[in-house]
Amino acid sequence: MATAAPDTGVEGCAAAPIGPSYKDEKPKATVSGKIKFDTVHVLPQTPQLIALLTIIRDKNTQRGDFIFYSNRIIRLLVEEGLNHLPVKEHEVTTPLGRAYAGVRFEGKICGVSIMRAGESMEQGLRDCCRSVRIGKILIQRDEETAQPKLFYHKLPTDIADRWVLLLDPMNATGGSASMAVQVLKEKGVAEERILFLNLIASPEGIEHFASKYPKLRVITAFIDEGLDEKNYIVPGLGDFGDRHFGTLDE
Amino acid sequence: MSESQNMNYAYSPPWHDTHIIGIAGSSGSGKTSVAAQLVKLLNLPWVVVLSMDSFYKELTPDQSKLAFANNYDFDSPDAIDFDILVDRLRDLKAGKKAEIPIYSFEKHQRVPNKNTTIYSCHVLILEGIFALYDPRVLELLDMKIFVDTDSDICLARRLARDVKSRGRDVRGALQQWHRFVKPNFELYVRPQMKNADIAIPRGIDNLTAIAMVVKHIQRALNAKSEAHLKKIAELGEKVLEKPLTDHVTVLDQTPQLRGIHTILQDRKTSREDFIFYFDRLASLLVEKAMDRMTFTSHKVLTPLNLPYNGLRCASAICGIVILRSGGVFEIGLKRVVPDCKIGRLLLQSNIRTGEPELHHLKVPPNLGDHQVLLLDPQIASGAAALMAVRVLKDHGVEEANIVFLTYMATKVGLGRLNAVFPEMKIVVAGIEEAWTSRWIDEKYFGC
Repeated sequence: MATAAPDTGVEGCAAAPIGPSYKDEKPKATVSGKIKFDTVHVLPQTPQLIALLTIIRDKNTQRGDFIFYSNRIIRLLVEEGLNHLPVKEHEVTTPLGRAYAGVRFEGKICGVSIMRAGESMEQGLRDCCRSVRIGKILIQRDEETAQPKLFYHKLPTDIADRWVLLLDPMNATGGSASMAVQVLKEKGVAEERILFLNLIASPEGIEHFASKYPKLRVITAFIDEGLDEKNYIVPGLGDFGDRHFGTLDE
Repeated sequence: MSESQNMNYAYSPPWHDTHIIGIAGSSGSGKTSVAAQLVKLLNLPWVVVLSMDSFYKELTPDQSKLAFANNYDFDSPDAIDFDILVDRLRDLKAGKKAEIPIYSFEKHQRVPNKNTTIYSCHVLILEGIFALYDPRVLELLDMKIFVDTDSDICLARRLARDVKSRGRDVRGALQQWHRFVKPNFELYVRPQMKNADIAIPRGIDNLTAIAMVVKHIQRALNAKSEAHLKKIAELGEKVLEKPLTDHVTVLDQTPQLRGIHTILQDRKTSREDFIFYFDRLASLLVEKAMDRMTFTSHKVLTPLNLPYNGLRCASAICGIVILRSGGVFEIGLKRVVPDCKIGRLLLQSNIRTGEPELHHLKVPPNLGDHQVLLLDPQIASGAAALMAVRVLKDHGVEEANIVFLTYMATKVGLGRLNAVFPEMKIVVAGIEEAWTSRWIDEKYFGC
């Protein structure tokens, strides 16, 4: 099992007391590792988020529950991601005739899912942004070189003018995500306009990614312990795409 | 700190100190009709009639045999279980919930495992031949009425009723009258008249007397309603000084949240957009509220057979919707807790006084075993919210197990709730400076 490079300041996951005031002793749970990159935003490790992660990590969780509960986390990721988009002062009149000093959303957005696991995050995105355009990028591991290879992409033609929410639930080595970012940059998307939404990351993957793209923002729910010899995130949750789409053996 | 220890900020619902009226009189004197007429004339949903017939004692097998042979004395004070009656009346007087036994006249038994629940009545009419008998009951009565009807009329009515609706024959009924009813009347029932505030000769036919009683009750109710509103107003002045505790969570006013607020507040926003953005915000609020629940440690194995030290919710979640406005949260609630049990209570403000009134209540059984999300999009004065929380506590929910979820709240409303129920958590999307009337539900439901 690999450990995080010390200079990034990644601290390992630890069982910590969590939650608001409890009458009795606070329950303990393993919370996300920390990372010192301003561009990486880990969702607040609230008891409810940990409970959701517990459900989707559990190998005995049925597929229906896996889909439902992962979608709840995805929605939280999307909501957090959207908070990084610009707004502009905007005053309106309320139904009761009062002035209300509010803000208006600025800038067009689109989603880009890294096939196929990233597509499982599209529903959560649509729950928050009804008619958002969604592009796709297919990246698979090349059997000969064991490196990720770009097979297909279909993106909005005006993507260079948009903010991009890049979707991939698991960030193990950061290889596919890096390749996807490369594609987006070639299409003219500014790095600082890309938000990478991710459920579980490995310390190695997220560190690699955040150092390679210092202006790109990453929103993740959890930085896990590390990677095993097969580059699976541990303890992880298995293959997200297989569990979501029901394509496991048996 | 519980509500009772927190006397500075106590809240009593309007049904606290229930106005209890006792109506006694001979069998067949027309007590039930007088009670029914009072209900009709008062014309309020919170007037409940409680018959002392529900409190007949359980019979032993021997007594039961006597009863079936029409040889058991049902018309003596001994037949009544005054202990339970006093107990239930005290609960109702204190504004609590009371489970009333159901008595079967055919079987001379209480119907096992079945009760009628009485809760939140403002006026309780206790009627029975011995309504003015037990000194402990007399102490709880606000008005004592004796219905004084000619005994020939009483006998005629009693015979008709026993045969028609209690499944007895004429002989048996007559036998009962002479052996038990008449002597008991002289011995125990009539002497209660000296305990009465008012005797109503001729019973239901005495319209003048009944009208006077109604007037008296209405005056008492108005006085109580004024006192209730005054107390809430006083509470508001007190809490303005007091900072909110960390049991109140106001959502971070992030750019997205401010943008959603703006869309919702804009009068030009279409209903379609309003509903979409409100549902989105509602899911966020419910997610935030779920963070305030109690969790316990829960270890699982991942598909790689590695352990993860996680958490799970300590008990089942129940949503309680304060109708009508609270209905706007239901979609958000189901997006987060799809199999959540949902109870409802309908509160409406009295058009004349503004006082909230409890019209309907339906909650799941064992509500006390749940962590409860109480849903209402707006808190203005906080009066309705206070009432709703009180209702939950009266149904066995611990204050610490309640999370109150709201879209917009005034400082004073939040302050009242926080001060009166300090253990309860509150999650709110924004603070409103000035008082506003309810408009969210109108826009959401389109009417």
